[in-house]
Amino acid sequence: MEKAVASDIHVLGLFPDEKNTASAIEAMEEHPWKIDRVNSPFPSHKIFDALKLKKSPIGWITLAGGILGFVTGFSLAVYTGLEWKLVVWGKPVLAWFPFVIVGFEFTILFSVFANVLGLVFLGNMPDFKGLELYDPRCSGEHFGILVSCEQQDQEKVVEFFKNRGGEVTIFD
Amino acid sequence: MNQTPELTYSEIDRTVLDTLRPPSGGYWLLIMVLILGVLAGAACWAYQIYIGIGAGGQNIPVAWGTYLINFVFWVGIAHSGTLISAILYLFRAGWRNPIARAAETMTVFAVSIAGLFPFIHLGRVWLVYYMLPYPNQRYLWPNFQSPLVFDVVAISTYLTVSSLFWYTGLIPDLAAVRDRATGLRKKIFTILSLGWTGKHEQWRHYTRGYLFFAALATPLVVSVHSVVSWDFALSVVPGWHSTIFAPYFVAGAIHSGLAMVLTLMIPMRRILHYERIVTMEILEAVAKTIIFTGLIVGYAYGIEYFLAWYSNNPIEQEAFRWRAVGDYSLEFWIMVVCNSLVPLLLFFKKIRTSIPWLFGISILINIGMWYERFVIIAGSVAHDFIPHAWGLYRPSGIEYGIMLGSFSLFFLLFLLFVKHLPSISMTEMKETLDHGESGGI
Repeated sequence: MEKAVASDIHVLGLFPDEKNTASAIEAMEEHPWKIDRVNSPFPSHKIFDALKLKKSPIGWITLAGGILGFVTGFSLAVYTGLEWKLVVWGKPVLAWFPFVIVGFEFTILFSVFANVLGLVFLGNMPDFKGLELYDPRCSGEHFGILVSCEQQDQEKVVEFFKNRGGEVTIFD
Repeated sequence: MNQTPELTYSEIDRTVLDTLRPPSGGYWLLIMVLILGVLAGAACWAYQIYIGIGAGGQNIPVAWGTYLINFVFWVGIAHSGTLISAILYLFRAGWRNPIARAAETMTVFAVSIAGLFPFIHLGRVWLVYYMLPYPNQRYLWPNFQSPLVFDVVAISTYLTVSSLFWYTGLIPDLAAVRDRATGLRKKIFTILSLGWTGKHEQWRHYTRGYLFFAALATPLVVSVHSVVSWDFALSVVPGWHSTIFAPYFVAGAIHSGLAMVLTLMIPMRRILHYERIVTMEILEAVAKTIIFTGLIVGYAYGIEYFLAWYSNNPIEQEAFRWRAVGDYSLEFWIMVVCNSLVPLLLFFKKIRTSIPWLFGISILINIGMWYERFVIIAGSVAHDFIPHAWGLYRPSGIEYGIMLGSFSLFFLLFLLFVKHLPSISMTEMKETLDHGESGGI
């Protein structure tokens, strides 16, 4: 999807359904214009496929958080057990099985922290500037394709969207 | 499973966003009543802090009274929220979508309230930080071999995870509210939605992240109530020391939580005009799940008696004999009838498709599940090994006041939520429509 084009003008094509949006994205491959983003009110497989998106790497971040969490929880239990020794009937001070429970809870906690942080950073949030090139109807019942193009291509882009049943907004 | 073929995206938005309009006088009256309930509870707690923990009815041998009963009750209520939002999400059960948000919200509020009870039970609440592992000059640390410390870790994790899960799910809907709001409200929702625009890069990471969230919340929910059950099962008290406690508690938690979902959703769908979204089929699906959890709970009640008989342990046998015919037999039979027998009525389609029946049964299960915790927690230690150490327990007025406060706080928070935030996930509802298939990438 990445095309090296000067982004003088931003044109937003607004579509009432995901099918037309997906076909417009696919048709745009034949043109030199760059799709900056596609806004939709819900996650759409059809749009993901049309954009040929790769899997998000967020799972790896979550996994890293989980490993760190287990090590932290387990180490905390071991460290505190060694610092404050509870010797009962000569049994070993470190009780490995109960410590797995502490490790497990920390695994979940740190995985979720990593997941949320990954979501925030990879999703580029908070992104209040993104609202400048945005149509509020995209959180309701419309799908928006934001394209950047050179000044001389503006009319072609507008025509492209209109031919596919889209409503057009131009951001200078 | 397509619940609402006639709905459109804009109808979903309109129906949900209409609920955020300024409320009527009746709403504020109800809010005031609930605030009074919360204040009554707070006053009772303040009195207990002033007088001492003896203001409650706990005694020797029943040192754990309604504070622990309510703790387990509210943790249990929380569980079905995660079942609906996470476990059913992984199983792609379409009927979860219209009720997932309300159930998740219920989870967050119920865990928060559950988390208050150990504080209340402490008596000297200002020493609560003793439970946390922090470096100190005496080299004292919490004992990580104790299920009570597991519980601190598990409940804190559960509250954090369920709150983050709830908020993450809300972000796209907060953006939808922002896009239709003006003035200060728009500014607030712009900040709350973190500038969400639903661009493909956001959705790409969101769908995947949400899937992992659900996958992580699922084992967490099982572990949390298992850990709660070990507070009892890892002791040697007859009636507590049982290997079935973890699955028994998890099933009971989901049973009570599903009943609370019905208790909340039935008035909510009527008052907020959600009949077309929260259809009868969805309530019926919840009712069918209640039959399943009710059967597990009933089986657990039965197997406890079998184990007592099969163990040939006279103390265990006496504990269970006394449970059925002793001083707490009324509570026991309320538990058995409300949790195991009443849900069987839902086998009849006429009953499970009748709103008054569903509502009535959900209330009875809530009552029954509260009494289940009473029977287990108070009943077991009241009548354990040595006859001269037996003793009875009844909650004091202060405890009832605090309980009233907890219920008032729960319903107050829920009422505030339904009028200020989208109580149904518009995003997930749109995904369920024919022309918008769900799923992550």
